[in-house]
Amino acid sequence: MEAEILNLTLDVAKCTACRACELACSFAKEGFFSPSLSRIRIMQAHEAGLNVPIVCVNCASAPCIPACPTGAVYRDRTVPVVRIREEECIGCGECIRACPFGAVDRPQCKEVALMCDLCDGNPACAPECIYGALTFDPKRQPAEAKRWATAKVIAARVREK
Amino acid sequence: MSRPISQQRILNVDLTQRRTWAEKVAQDDLVKYLGGRGIAAKLLYERTRGGVDPLGSDNVMVFATGALTGTNAPSSGRSSVTCKSPATGLYLKVSVGGHVGAELRYAGWDYVVVSGTASGPVYLWIDDEHVEIRDARHLWGRGTRETDDLLKAELGDEAIRTAVIGPAGENRVLFSCIMVTRYNSASRGGVGAVMGSKNLKAIAVRGRGGLSCASGKEYYALAGQMRRKLAADSGSESLYNWGTSGSIPGLDEMGMLAAYNFSRVAIDHSERLSGQYLLDQGYLIGRESCFGCSTACHRYVRTLTDEWGRVRDAGPELETVLSLGAECGITDTEALLVANRLCNDLGMDTISAGHVISWAMETYERGILDKESTDGLDLRFGNAGAQHTLLNRLARREGAFADLLANGTRHASQEVGRDSGTWAIQAKGLEQSAVDTRAAKSYALAFAVNPRGPDHLMTETFAEFGFTQESRDVIREITGDEAYANPRLTEKRADIVRWHEDVYGASEALGFCVFTSTAAFAVNPRNMAQLFSLGMGVPLDEKQLMLGGRRMVTIERCFNVREGARRQDDVLPWRMMNEKVPTGTNAGMLTDQAMLDGLLDQYYALHGWDVATAVPLRSTLARLGLAELCGDVALEG
Repeated sequence: MEAEILNLTLDVAKCTACRACELACSFAKEGFFSPSLSRIRIMQAHEAGLNVPIVCVNCASAPCIPACPTGAVYRDRTVPVVRIREEECIGCGECIRACPFGAVDRPQCKEVALMCDLCDGNPACAPECIYGALTFDPKRQPAEAKRWATAKVIAARVREK
Repeated sequence: MSRPISQQRILNVDLTQRRTWAEKVAQDDLVKYLGGRGIAAKLLYERTRGGVDPLGSDNVMVFATGALTGTNAPSSGRSSVTCKSPATGLYLKVSVGGHVGAELRYAGWDYVVVSGTASGPVYLWIDDEHVEIRDARHLWGRGTRETDDLLKAELGDEAIRTAVIGPAGENRVLFSCIMVTRYNSASRGGVGAVMGSKNLKAIAVRGRGGLSCASGKEYYALAGQMRRKLAADSGSESLYNWGTSGSIPGLDEMGMLAAYNFSRVAIDHSERLSGQYLLDQGYLIGRESCFGCSTACHRYVRTLTDEWGRVRDAGPELETVLSLGAECGITDTEALLVANRLCNDLGMDTISAGHVISWAMETYERGILDKESTDGLDLRFGNAGAQHTLLNRLARREGAFADLLANGTRHASQEVGRDSGTWAIQAKGLEQSAVDTRAAKSYALAFAVNPRGPDHLMTETFAEFGFTQESRDVIREITGDEAYANPRLTEKRADIVRWHEDVYGASEALGFCVFTSTAAFAVNPRNMAQLFSLGMGVPLDEKQLMLGGRRMVTIERCFNVREGARRQDDVLPWRMMNEKVPTGTNAGMLTDQAMLDGLLDQYYALHGWDVATAVPLRSTLARLGLAELCGDVALEG
């Protein structure tokens, strides 16, 4: 049986790049509005006409965990996500280099790396996405929902050609 | 890391001296003028004098963000550009969406005031606190998309947001625009030519800071509430599904679909212009939001056959499919997608470009222009190929004919003569947007008094149609009776226009898209004032907010008075005042000079302006606290 992994479900085709998720995240985490400090980021792929949310997907192998020299990056057992203990993070950037998605980052003004922790299982961003691009349903995790989302994106790309 | 949204900062840029410096906006001014459009009005009034050359170094451009831009207030990411217009010689404010306004605020700036003229092509690079005027010789002559790409490559950051002009702005085409974050256009009045005249090719911005509100949690909650209410509005749903051109079937049904240079109000196959058609036929490939928007009316489209060229780009707005489409007798969807992309890439306002060409087409069909005078173009209505060629020539002023048209229909019709001014769809030198003002009297009044010329983008009085209960409620609130929600009535039109001016001005000062408050009504004076108070930590009530809107409108009027404009300039295009609606449900309708005069009398009196001249009275300025700023133009009384 697959290890339990919690995730946001992304439906790329529905994202309009309104960036309400970035605002929700930075407000929840920092108390003010700053997309640079958001743990989720919207990348606009202009040529394809698509907007792609990038956020930690809590992958099973999690290369950021062994990359961390201080053991600050770990898999939480209470809420099954990968997270960073800020007090142990030295801001070296090894996790940033290890992440294949660019989902971890350390903004200039911060001394620690920032990574989505799903707000302890109650993500601030998902309810703000009124377009349905970003949803969170702990009961429907994660493969089936993602298959649908991915299929739609691939279908759109194939149709484009 | 973050700064309070109430601390407003101006970045001054003197291109002649190649100098930049920071300045703060006084707290009192923020409350008085509400931000964005309001502060910009004050700055432009103060920093220019009457009679400046719009394309000279004394003209000033104010790039302004909304006071709530960058927060979670719904659809509050809009910015404005304010300067003196080279098309009209009068006040010009253009509003634009996209992402550059929010980026600028995160960089720590709320306004960029550009004065002077650079000695050669430059661009402005704003990297948080670091500001630099850089060489742009290698960008000069390039299209807006390529310029955006090159800037990102050169500065090594894909996240940069830009505002750029195309060849049309460089060549001072009087309807050139500024393209913002690739897809959004600050369009009207030749704002691109002003930027071009300053040798300023682009502004590139990267902001990594944050914005905080005085009462953060309450602000976040109220804005979220407004956002959900707005998303639930039926108007929002239609805008999401079909975009602005989703109203084509409605306009057709109402007999208000401007076609053939406003000589008709219907066109065969009008469905091919519609957002519904874009969706059903597979042209639509994506929906785009401006920053923080819960509506996403913007489109991303593709061509299917590439018969006219290949498009993977921003989709056309309602005004675009009317102006470049129906007004030019063109309903070929693919041809329109290409014409739209051409305008965006060359940096031209689609409304004026369309109406300049539709005027030329009518003049050609009447035999006043021929192939010799058009530099070989067969300008019959419906000739999309000729339209595309002409668009390319216009942006570069290529050939005598394009050079003539590049100065707009007022100028072109004066040169061509032979009554061609009677079918030039312009007033004050600005081409009218494709809205039929003959059958909607608040619209007629609002267009006539609009400081920048006849269009729906300084205020819009959609509620007068009474399509929804919300609009009828608004009309009842203004006039006391929802029976006035009838566009054919002339009573109470001044009250309706002035209320909408106030709301529109306040919305734009705060950064709200005006769809939220004057098409849908989820954003209203009450919750705007609440949000402003929570954000700024300064109490502001609904009445004060509306007064802020009134101040903007009054300063804008005073600016035009200073330029010599008077009551006789508040008119509509000749055709709109002298030729009745030919067919359809509004057949026979007209807003002629006598009817307009009645509306203007109401309007000036309501504003406390001299009815004979339309000049604000000193007592009115004193009441609004504007005596010091604009007293130089007031009439005693």
